[in-house]
Amino acid sequence: MVIHESDAEKINTVLTTFLGESGASEALLIDRSGQLLSMTGANRALDTVSISALAAGAFSSTGALAQLLGETEFTVLFHQGNKESMHVSTVDDQAILLAIFGERTTVGMVRLFAKEASAAVGQILAEARNKPKTKGELSTPLTADESRTSFGEKTR
Amino acid sequence: MAIINYAQKVINFKVVYYGPGVAGKTANLQHIHKSLPDVSKGNMISLAAGDDRTLFFDFLPVSATTVRGFTAKFQLYTVPGQVYYNMTRKLVLRGVDGLVFVADSQWDRLRDNVESFRNLEENLREYNYNLDDMPYVMQYNKRDLPNVAPLEYMEFMLNRRARQVPYFEAVAVSGDGVFDTLNTVSRMVLVGEFGQEKGEHRESA
Repeated sequence: MVIHESDAEKINTVLTTFLGESGASEALLIDRSGQLLSMTGANRALDTVSISALAAGAFSSTGALAQLLGETEFTVLFHQGNKESMHVSTVDDQAILLAIFGERTTVGMVRLFAKEASAAVGQILAEARNKPKTKGELSTPLTADESRTSFGEKTR
Repeated sequence: MAIINYAQKVINFKVVYYGPGVAGKTANLQHIHKSLPDVSKGNMISLAAGDDRTLFFDFLPVSATTVRGFTAKFQLYTVPGQVYYNMTRKLVLRGVDGLVFVADSQWDRLRDNVESFRNLEENLREYNYNLDDMPYVMQYNKRDLPNVAPLEYMEFMLNRRARQVPYFEAVAVSGDGVFDTLNTVSRMVLVGEFGQEKGEHRESA
């Protein structure tokens, strides 16, 4: 999937509105494979890469649980903490929306506005996926040097 | 599924280490985590059961190289190897871009390797993925143990599809072969996504 700058801007606008309306502190748009697509919110040091992988794992595992009960999926996952809570909901069959929120709002507010935000983000993602997969500077084949990775070479 | 983000100038790939239980998948990630400098790795997460066996997955994000101004990031996952964890194993495969099949070289584990490989093919099919189009490598692990099958035999048992893939001997707990495996699969993933100029060999180690 390719996320162009214009898509990223549109997503950011929707997520910013969502944070304003819901009172949540951070919103993460996550691909169901576990990769972070976009993040908006309070500027604190969160390990968003790990959060994305774990949230996608938890959500997919919840989906498998739903299927065991004959449901297609559980569309919302909610974790309540003492000070911070987490709300994860379906955007479409490839993405989920995670909101982190504290005591200044309620899960009801987050759920209400997450629904609207998901619909809007889902539309942007659908358009992005339908666009021709132009890759700009990445559209020509790589040279042998460009595809070479060197993990661990300095440490051996 | 590779995600190319023009706003962040990042390309994200997902690589999954697959194989039977206790073959050394987690040991691969642990060695990578231990060896890489902080700047090229994130936190390693292990969702393990009490007996140290992987319950859901291990996760380690690493980055290696810049491709035309984009940082190439690889998210490394392992799956639980035990047969009865198939549901969680399948979930981890979602959106996979490349695979490392970690086989246990010991004679008495050969059947488990073959079963796990078949299980991989089945699970990929459920996502409409196909090993024929998927960048992957074989890693024959535990080569330091006395009761291991010869390489030719491992190849004959596991690397016998129409397309033969690169293979590596490894002793993952001490790191032998771990980075050769990772560098090869990551190169194959990059070439698989963006192609390689004609005349240059593919899938080289």
